[in-house]
Amino acid sequence: MHGRNKYILEKFSGIIITMIGVSLIAFLILHLSPGDPVRIMLGHSATEENIIALRSRLNLDRPLYVQYISWITNVIQGDLGISIRYNRPVIDLIRERIGITLLLTGTAIVLSVFGGILTGVISAIKRNTWIDYLGTIQTMFWISVPPFWSGILLLYLFGLKLRWFPITGMVGFRSLVLPALALALAQQAWFARPMRSEMLEVINQDYIKAAKAKGVKNSLVIFKHAMRNALIPIVTMLALRLPWIIGGSIVIEKVFGWSGMGSLLINSVFARDFPVVQAILLIISFAVIFANLLADILYSLIDPRIRVE
Amino acid sequence: MATDINEIRNEIKSLKQKKNSQLSLVWLRFKKNKLSVIGLIIIAIIFFTALLAPVLTPYNPYQIDMTNRLSSPSSSNLLGTDALGRDVLTRLIYGSRIAMLIGVLIVLFEGFIGIIFGIISGFFGGLPDKIIMRLVDILRSFPVIVLAIAIAGILGQGLFNVVIAIGIVGWTTYTRMVRSKILVIKESEYVENARAIGESTFSIVLRYVIPNAIPTAIVMVCIMMPTALIASATLSYLGLGVQPPLADWGSIISSGRNYMLEAPWISTSAGFFIMFTVLGFNFIGDGLRDALDPTIKRN
Repeated sequence: MHGRNKYILEKFSGIIITMIGVSLIAFLILHLSPGDPVRIMLGHSATEENIIALRSRLNLDRPLYVQYISWITNVIQGDLGISIRYNRPVIDLIRERIGITLLLTGTAIVLSVFGGILTGVISAIKRNTWIDYLGTIQTMFWISVPPFWSGILLLYLFGLKLRWFPITGMVGFRSLVLPALALALAQQAWFARPMRSEMLEVINQDYIKAAKAKGVKNSLVIFKHAMRNALIPIVTMLALRLPWIIGGSIVIEKVFGWSGMGSLLINSVFARDFPVVQAILLIISFAVIFANLLADILYSLIDPRIRVE
Repeated sequence: MATDINEIRNEIKSLKQKKNSQLSLVWLRFKKNKLSVIGLIIIAIIFFTALLAPVLTPYNPYQIDMTNRLSSPSSSNLLGTDALGRDVLTRLIYGSRIAMLIGVLIVLFEGFIGIIFGIISGFFGGLPDKIIMRLVDILRSFPVIVLAIAIAGILGQGLFNVVIAIGIVGWTTYTRMVRSKILVIKESEYVENARAIGESTFSIVLRYVIPNAIPTAIVMVCIMMPTALIASATLSYLGLGVQPPLADWGSIISSGRNYMLEAPWISTSAGFFIMFTVLGFNFIGDGLRDALDPTIKRN
């Protein structure tokens, strides 16, 4: 019990330090800009009064550590600052858009995990046949494709040519298909590989052979056992790929003209709307940190042996 | 005396042969994997395309010809022309130069930082290790492309800004790999023996640790190249990469996007160039990993 508490405490303090580090990077991003960030944000037409006003609003006339402390204190209280471009609280802008991003990433995660499991299982069952080779080739292929390009091709093929799905914007369920597919096709490949090898391992286990010999419906038994063994590699892979799925969805939003957090980030970068950029960096990195924590908790639920490392 | 010298000569000879045979063993193992040989051929083709670009095409990638806009693929323009009448294949051929240059610069940048930090972290342990690994954890909380978008956007367009924007997260992967490799090397007998006979830490790192970490580093470069290429193409696609008139694959896809109905070949062919290059490096990476350093696993 003692070791376990110590482990949890270490884990927890590690996460706090990481979160502070991440917030420092998001904060310092503003100061990477060549020249005076306030002048860059306001553009050429800004008056001297506006510049002074914004500078004091952002605390930029005070020492760096004071700026950070006041920024992070506000963030903790739920105040992410005010957008320069929209002149509205950043939190409101994000609240309006986060649903779209969650919908896209969520759908893509489900599609890629299930797609990967399916292709991995089929490849393993049909080992060394042309179906298996096709499965391996498609994983290699999709790992090598930039998601924004597959998005454009899907748009062209199924949107412009065949007209099966809407081209841009969000009009109901059907407009979700292409963007989610563009994201998931690249990601499923990462889940197919570990699933295939776990499945192959299970197929060769003695207890599976025994179960088969007893006349149990074999495909179901194999799948159940393989799934139990594959759970940890899949959770690991999901935690590893999550940053890529989020990153991909940000670009895909732009390709499909969705107004989620990704489009907001890209537009804000171009508009030099630094408070928005900082807030989105913070939210996304916190999401990744919590996903990793969740994966750690899941491990200990799946396999109690790895609870204390 | 004479026999002694001969003996030593023979020993040196056999040692040299042993080294050669080790290299040929790696090559043999690499060759056995058909996909990695295909990858090598793909990358060789792309490399020579980049090198011989002016010889391979009669056109200039910047030559605007408004009378010949968006023409379909033909015998004179194998992949058609773009919205400014420029030959698409020529622009793609010249684009391989930029892709290769950016890819190599990113890998060098992140490899250099990552390997040095990995050696420090793995070999010295203690506080430096704790600090470096915490920094790695912090940076890995950002998706590569998200931090790259923010940094490239704030630093402004340009080749070196792209390298920094992508490399700033990328080096952490090298550090992790090299660190875990060094931890194994550190416990090995030859390092223990070197310590026992009183060799200095500096000389141990230089003579044993670095040479033994090199295979890992080479494999890492091939594994990281695809990420570098896709991330830089994505930045160019978003308009945050190299400057637009430059023939870059990502920006060719982006400009072709507006003409998908009239001229789908522009974006499509540019994407295939990216895909085959990335595929080539993936194949080589897989083959090299198995041949040089079977202890590394992907991710």
